[in-house]
Amino acid sequence: MLDGTKPLVRVDDLKMHFPIFKGVLRRRVGEVKAVDGVSFEIYEGETLGLVGESGCGKSTVGRALLRLYDITDGHIEIDGSDISTLSGEALRDMRPRMQMIFQDPQASLNPRMTVGSIIAEPLDEHTNLTRKEKREKVAKLMDAVGLARRFADRYPHEFSGGQRQRIGIARALALNPKFIVCDEPIAALDVSIQAQVVNLLEDLQQEFGLTYLFISHDLSMVRHLATRVAVMYLGKIAELAPRDALYADPKHPYTQALLSAVPHPDPAGDRQHERIILKGDVPSPANPPKGCNFCTRCPKVMEICRSETPEWREVDAGRFVACHLYN
Amino acid sequence: MLNYTIRRLIFAIPTLLFISFIIFIILDMAPNDPTGNLPLTIPPEVRQKIRESLGLDAPMYIRYLLWCNQFFINEPLNMLHQWFGWCIGDCEGRLRVESWITRSPVVDSIVERMPQTLWVVGMSYVVSILVAVPIGVISAYKQYSWFDQAGTLVSMIGFAVPTFFTGLVLQIVFSTMIPSDHWAWLPSKYNTLHEVTDWQSFVYQMRQMAMPVTVLALYNMAQLSRFMRASMLDNLSQDYVRTARAKGLRERTVVLVHVLRNSLIPVVTVIALGVPTIFGGAIITEQIFGVNGLGALLIIGIQGADIPLVQTLTFIFAVLIVLFNLIADILYGLLDPRIRYE
Amino acid sequence: MKLSKIAMATAGASMLATSAFAAGHEMQGRDGHVGIIYWQAASILNPYLSGGTKDIEAASLVIEPLARYDQDGNMVPWLVDEIPTVENGGVAEDLTSITWKLSEGLVWSDGTPVTSADVVFTANYCMDPEGGCQQLAKFGDVTSVEALDDLTIKITFGVPKPFPYGPFVGGQTPILQAAQFEGCSGAAAPSCTDQNFGPIGTGPFVVTEFRANDTISMEANPNYRDPSKPAFATLTFKGGGDATAAARTVLETGEFDYAWNLQIAPEVLDEMESAGKGTIVSGFGTLVERIMINLTDPNPDLGDERSTVAHPHPFLSDIAVRQALSMAIDRELLTEIGYGQAGRPTCNVLPAPAIYASTANDACLVQDIAGANALLDEAGWLPGADGIREKDGVRLSILYQTSTNAVRQDFQALIKQWWSEIGVETELKNIDAGVFFGGDQSSPDTFQKLFADVEMYANNFDGTDPEAYMGNWKCSEIPSPENAWLGGNMPRYCSEAYDGLLAEMAGTADIDERARLAKAMNDMLMQEYVIIPLVDRGRVSAHANTLEGVVLNTWDSELWNVADWSRAD
Repeated sequence: MLDGTKPLVRVDDLKMHFPIFKGVLRRRVGEVKAVDGVSFEIYEGETLGLVGESGCGKSTVGRALLRLYDITDGHIEIDGSDISTLSGEALRDMRPRMQMIFQDPQASLNPRMTVGSIIAEPLDEHTNLTRKEKREKVAKLMDAVGLARRFADRYPHEFSGGQRQRIGIARALALNPKFIVCDEPIAALDVSIQAQVVNLLEDLQQEFGLTYLFISHDLSMVRHLATRVAVMYLGKIAELAPRDALYADPKHPYTQALLSAVPHPDPAGDRQHERIILKGDVPSPANPPKGCNFCTRCPKVMEICRSETPEWREVDAGRFVACHLYN
Repeated sequence: MLNYTIRRLIFAIPTLLFISFIIFIILDMAPNDPTGNLPLTIPPEVRQKIRESLGLDAPMYIRYLLWCNQFFINEPLNMLHQWFGWCIGDCEGRLRVESWITRSPVVDSIVERMPQTLWVVGMSYVVSILVAVPIGVISAYKQYSWFDQAGTLVSMIGFAVPTFFTGLVLQIVFSTMIPSDHWAWLPSKYNTLHEVTDWQSFVYQMRQMAMPVTVLALYNMAQLSRFMRASMLDNLSQDYVRTARAKGLRERTVVLVHVLRNSLIPVVTVIALGVPTIFGGAIITEQIFGVNGLGALLIIGIQGADIPLVQTLTFIFAVLIVLFNLIADILYGLLDPRIRYE
Repeated sequence: MKLSKIAMATAGASMLATSAFAAGHEMQGRDGHVGIIYWQAASILNPYLSGGTKDIEAASLVIEPLARYDQDGNMVPWLVDEIPTVENGGVAEDLTSITWKLSEGLVWSDGTPVTSADVVFTANYCMDPEGGCQQLAKFGDVTSVEALDDLTIKITFGVPKPFPYGPFVGGQTPILQAAQFEGCSGAAAPSCTDQNFGPIGTGPFVVTEFRANDTISMEANPNYRDPSKPAFATLTFKGGGDATAAARTVLETGEFDYAWNLQIAPEVLDEMESAGKGTIVSGFGTLVERIMINLTDPNPDLGDERSTVAHPHPFLSDIAVRQALSMAIDRELLTEIGYGQAGRPTCNVLPAPAIYASTANDACLVQDIAGANALLDEAGWLPGADGIREKDGVRLSILYQTSTNAVRQDFQALIKQWWSEIGVETELKNIDAGVFFGGDQSSPDTFQKLFADVEMYANNFDGTDPEAYMGNWKCSEIPSPENAWLGGNMPRYCSEAYDGLLAEMAGTADIDERARLAKAMNDMLMQEYVIIPLVDRGRVSAHANTLEGVVLNTWDSELWNVADWSRAD
């Protein structure tokens, strides 16, 4: 636990709605509420895991956080600067502080650039290093992520998935950021490679003092890596808690359901291994249910859930839940 | 890459021979007759004699082999003679591929018509590329903006309205409605004998090219800008673009360096594949403006059942198509590092 | 030295003479440039290797025949002083030879004299069996062409020729320069590209650049026999495009001075003329749009005997049906719709020149549906349940074919309508012109095979003498598998009386008597209704209002008098 350290990232009521256009004249007929009022903080040096099913909006949170989108509402503060409304040059100047590692290492690398130029490009934009210095820096970054220096002149397609992700990581590190959003960085990799990349991320965190937002749907990986974990459902955070507390005692029915699906490492100690099967589909974020987002599938649903949105409250030290059960 | 190119070129030879044979068979089977367009006052027995003098009484395979001999052996030898003065065999009396309509060597006609074809059709191609690429880029970048909508509309019009219509409209406006002493007046007929010798004649050349080039460019541009737009849209949504933005690159760098370069790969290929159509001319536009390039030559040949002319032209087109397919493939390999030929 | 001095003195004198002449009269080339547009481009300037009208007319600017036809169809001496006739002794009494005498002092554009050897060479050039000469028909029955002296040529025929003006009369058979075409006879003819593209001639212009199927540029012939002509120093002969565009360049944009053969919708042409830049000119020749009746049975079940005289047509062999078909047609309306100024209704297959035109059949000019119905009723063809007339199980159902052409398809639709009003069912078919008129033996769709009940096309004859034309309908001209379907007798009409008239004409030299015979043959065909003439199609061309001297000639090249053209001030 890293209590007492100051928050590096502060997110307050973040909303990211994508408009829907329809018809001949492309009128705006509604919006997809991909992220609908999310608040959390990330402390310096910690890893916040963000988990949830696909489509719940967790990647959107990551991208909105780095202002890869123009957000609909809310505030984002990174390292003391409010970046929620910045644009153009001002935003560009902030870029070196925050970086992102993407899910698909193949698609996120420009196929027509060599590894060296991919890693060096941010340096071209944001630093005044000489060519030689840049080459040295690239080489160091490649060392750091475990890539042979001689690969600098090769193209991304010549590498394996794991190697490509290392390129992506080296690129993200180039400008010495403080904060990195890892958007499912291992989802597209072979299981055998996943551990290597995760270990690399951990090592780098130690070495450079990084803060991560680790987005994943893989609960076991998050358990391994995260300091604290946030669980997202349909554009909102259902529960946020320190890792061990969350895995030991999930509060929110959705968290409980999620965790019940994770195979326990020790079957003997699996006391209450009773899987909670959720019924029905996730509602469309364009048309979320009234009241609690989870009310349509919640096994412990109450009358109030269908009419009132549960408050986001701290129910225990460092444990936040949005559920009427804890009112 | 070199090995690959050489291998492809070698494989092209049997392919082209086969194509030439197929073209010959098709032309031979076509129910047309070189004397068909002659006035009816020429009696049938004279027509029969004309056909014999054209060698039409020989069996099909003999005529095909004769053409092969003329085209593959005599024409190249003649070229050596013309260009370098090297004389191999009988230089003066050599049988070249001769048109039945003009009774002159087909290759000479083609060479004679090359300049106006390249000037007009080639220039229209260049213009359309220069216009289409920026339109496609802006349309995609500002998808659904008024610019994009206007671009879509213009493309639809360019694509849907046939060239004979746009050509006619331009002619009526610029040649008929505007008096011929007005500066904006444009000639409706292309003067193929016009030579550019000074500024004034250059201006005239531009004026006489203006309408046919516009008509053709509008049509090509419509296609190409749509293609460019689609390719840009494909790439704009790619993760590496997000990466580039996350790197904190300037928006111009993101679009022009990352997106445009990648989007151009398929577009360059399409452009390369379209080059043979330049040589094919633009049959309709050439007719309207009297450009009399290769397209017009082909149509005259077809109407007059001029088998040697049509055979030679179509075969040259086939060669160009095969060649530019290869060039497109090689370009793809050069532009896209993911593709390597062994 | 002495010789050259004399030559120089002569040259000087002639120059003086020319300038003196010019002072009094007008000089060659005074009017600058003239532009001619033919929507079909010229491919070659040798009419012997290309019978296409565009090629013959382009060549007529450069090379000339001994005599031409004028706008009324009269022969005029061109490179000779007078037309040989029996009266002046130029044509032998037994009609087997004709003797032409070249005008004195004629020179080619390269300055060398024109001699009888050139004429003899030209005849032999065309008659060479390996040359594929397209004007060979003009030299029919010629046994020898010989030079009697430098200026005199005697052409001998194997049979008596009452009309011996085939060779060297009219634009199809101009004189070539022997010196230039020497090595080009027979099989070598096509390989003489330079000669074929730039023949040396006696005409008002010489070729400076020839681009096949595109543009020809010419300049005035410095050695032209009349030093004051032509008025234009340079000439462009542009080809390509379509008739409408060609018309526009003369009538609306004024880019060209003369546009040839404007086969476009009459109302479009009138509209263009109203722009005020040019004038439409039209003239009538012998081109008649006609329906040919098949007197034989085209039933496909007959196999090789299809459309041969072995099987008469099931109902078209009945003259009443043929006559009814003709009566049902409104020729005025067809003309108005299809040709406007460029056509006039006709009831004769031989409509011109005036002395040959019969007036005996003019009743057909008025449509008579009622009369046609009455005629069919009388002949026993009665309407069946579906309104189609029939007799003895034979239905009046017609397959009507023609070439693909907008006007012809309009005609087909109208005629189908009129025929349905008299209880005749019509199925329409159109065939690409290249196939229809092409003589491809393997195609079933040629106009000679006539695997249909009726067919429509236009035909005419060269020059003014109808003998060969009327000869199309003699028995021996019937196309059949035996003669490889070659022959002009599409209706498969065979009459001893007709053949007799033809034989009589072949032995008659007197022009009035020939006219009587020609009219009799025309009337025979018309009154048997084996050919249904529809429209006498004229030639429509346009010239700029600033161009003077244009005389539209349908009997020879349209450009026949280009030497007399000039620019109005």
